[in-house]
Amino acid sequence: MNWRIIGTLVAKDLSLFFRKKLIVALTALGLVFYLIIYFVMPSSVNENLEIGLYAPVIPPVFELVQEEGLEIEMAESEEALKEAVAEGQYIAGVVLPADIMEQFQSGQKPKIILYFTPDAPQEIKDAVEVLIRELAYLQAGQTLAIDISEEILGPDMVGMPIPPRDRLRPLLAIFIIMMEMLGLANLISEEVERHTAHALLVTPMTVIDLFVAKGITGVGLAFVQAVLFMSIVGGMSGQPLIILVALLLGAVLVTGVGFIIAAVSKDFMSVLGWGVLSFIILLIPSFSVIAPGTITGWVKIFPSYYLVDTVHRAANFGSGWGDVGVNLLILLGFSLAILWIGITVLRRKFQ
Amino acid sequence: MSLKRVRILLGKEFLHGPRNYIFIFSVVAPIVISLFFSLIFGTLFSEKPELGVVDEGSSQLVPMAQELDSVVTKEYATVSEMKQAVENGAVDIGIVLPPGFDSSVMQGERIEITAYIWGESLAKNRTIIGVTIADLVRELTGQEAPVEMEAITLGDGESIPWNNRLLPFVVLMAVFLGGLMLPATSVVNEKEKKTLEALVITPTTIGDVFLSKGIMGFILSLLMGILILVLNQAFGTEPVLLTLVLALGAIMAVELGMILGAFVKDFTTLFAVWKFGGIVLFAPVFVYLFPQIPEWIGRIFPTYYLIQPIVELSQQGGSWSDIAVNVFILIGLDLILVALVMLTLRRAKQYAT
Repeated sequence: MNWRIIGTLVAKDLSLFFRKKLIVALTALGLVFYLIIYFVMPSSVNENLEIGLYAPVIPPVFELVQEEGLEIEMAESEEALKEAVAEGQYIAGVVLPADIMEQFQSGQKPKIILYFTPDAPQEIKDAVEVLIRELAYLQAGQTLAIDISEEILGPDMVGMPIPPRDRLRPLLAIFIIMMEMLGLANLISEEVERHTAHALLVTPMTVIDLFVAKGITGVGLAFVQAVLFMSIVGGMSGQPLIILVALLLGAVLVTGVGFIIAAVSKDFMSVLGWGVLSFIILLIPSFSVIAPGTITGWVKIFPSYYLVDTVHRAANFGSGWGDVGVNLLILLGFSLAILWIGITVLRRKFQ
Repeated sequence: MSLKRVRILLGKEFLHGPRNYIFIFSVVAPIVISLFFSLIFGTLFSEKPELGVVDEGSSQLVPMAQELDSVVTKEYATVSEMKQAVENGAVDIGIVLPPGFDSSVMQGERIEITAYIWGESLAKNRTIIGVTIADLVRELTGQEAPVEMEAITLGDGESIPWNNRLLPFVVLMAVFLGGLMLPATSVVNEKEKKTLEALVITPTTIGDVFLSKGIMGFILSLLMGILILVLNQAFGTEPVLLTLVLALGAIMAVELGMILGAFVKDFTTLFAVWKFGGIVLFAPVFVYLFPQIPEWIGRIFPTYYLIQPIVELSQQGGSWSDIAVNVFILIGLDLILVALVMLTLRRAKQYAT
């Protein structure tokens, strides 16, 4: 392996990349827009049911209730409560009659009015009804003979839920890496199409030198952009080294996939065809982070799962080497295997 | 410009177009994405809490829970299966109902059940599931609610389900993949293979070539837009108006595709422009995905004036008066783009000669 030749080739590829001012500008603007997408996404999660209550006489149960995920705030009047509900301050407004306690004592059924905003989903309306009914049961002295013992599975995130934009963070970082996979595949495919790769191989440069140079270019472009993105969105604040290693291995992985795509493609159209197919397949594990539970264990067959999961756990839960070490090892194995397959098939194409 | 030559070129586009990767992609991708969103995303962003149950006896509580609107109930065969589902976040809480659960609660015996809680489950979901279980048990034992309730909705309107929020994205994708990418890639392909130069040596003008490719893109774009709305049962009550808006959107897509095709020399640049330009085109979608985003942000982007009328007509039962201003802006944008296409074609003529 001749590092001087490799360096020259990398410099040539990078200079070709940066010489196309439009592509550089668009790549930079693309990055800016991914950042905008991140920053316009909701940055917090409202994990409480905020209910407004107007009650001339407050039943003790309603006053003392300290249920996790429930916030009951008092309103000064029914009109004020209706206004607050209409403004979206509360998800529901509850009005208790002035003689509620007397009615309970005399065995009558007091009438409770619930106010909802027009955009309140039906499930929330039903849930608030069930909740108020349960409080009424308790106030009426009808307790349940059931003891529920709780066991939390996984880290308990009550009080610190992950905002949607932080769930999207691994997806966007991986999106950036994978976009460069298409770019790399196209770069190699163009070299093959224009026969410049064959011309290069007539020189003292070996096939290995060519692959290493293309690999460095591909990994570099993908890695730098992803790191820049993660740094700006705060993804590197918890476990920067783990994120860096994961993104680097991810960049190696997509470089291998880029080699395979370049080997099976004849022109830009087929690069796009195979590229989009690979892109979709590699993107599937990201949905397990965006919407947990929608994808089950089979997702682990995709190498990108170990990248997504590692970035998610390190960035959102602060998981350390002990927690994600196995993931990184599997990702390393997958990345090296795919890179080796990519080099093998591409070498055959050159020969 | 010769209509006869345009017709011949269009025939060629129709004959060879369907073999083109972008053509297939423009047809397949919106359909697949639409189905994907309907099947998965329709429930993905549902805010309903999810309850997992392992019924070791044959409790009536399970079918009762499954009938509820407020909670999604999933039944599991084994405890380990359910614990796995809780760990993955497939359900917020999983409970195990022991044998004889119903008879025990009816006789008022004290029962202990274990609830497995997903650590990332929101506090409100835990509360809702907790009180729902209590409510179901009370219903099972025949307890009568000590209160009467009346629910009143303040004002008009309704909540927007996630699959409706995602519709603008799928419609835009359908309109712009066919309308923009097909003519653009077709022109760039001709440039790369030097067939464009060969064509303009004949009496065919560059305008004939672009027009035929534009018509092809327009037809595909309009048909895909209509198909996606039909697939999503979102054709609304104003099908003629909706078709008109889609047609104006298809014209915009085709014009942008022609300008791109004329300016861009190779696929690498085209791909880079799509990478950035795609984000600009799809930006208004985020206003519909997340209503918290102020609407004025969407108005910055030209495709907003296509998407707003489509959403208004297909989802909000709007009429001409609700969309007129935005449709006129869309027509204005189309006219500006026509002028730009003309200027571009002049440049393309220079290139061809």
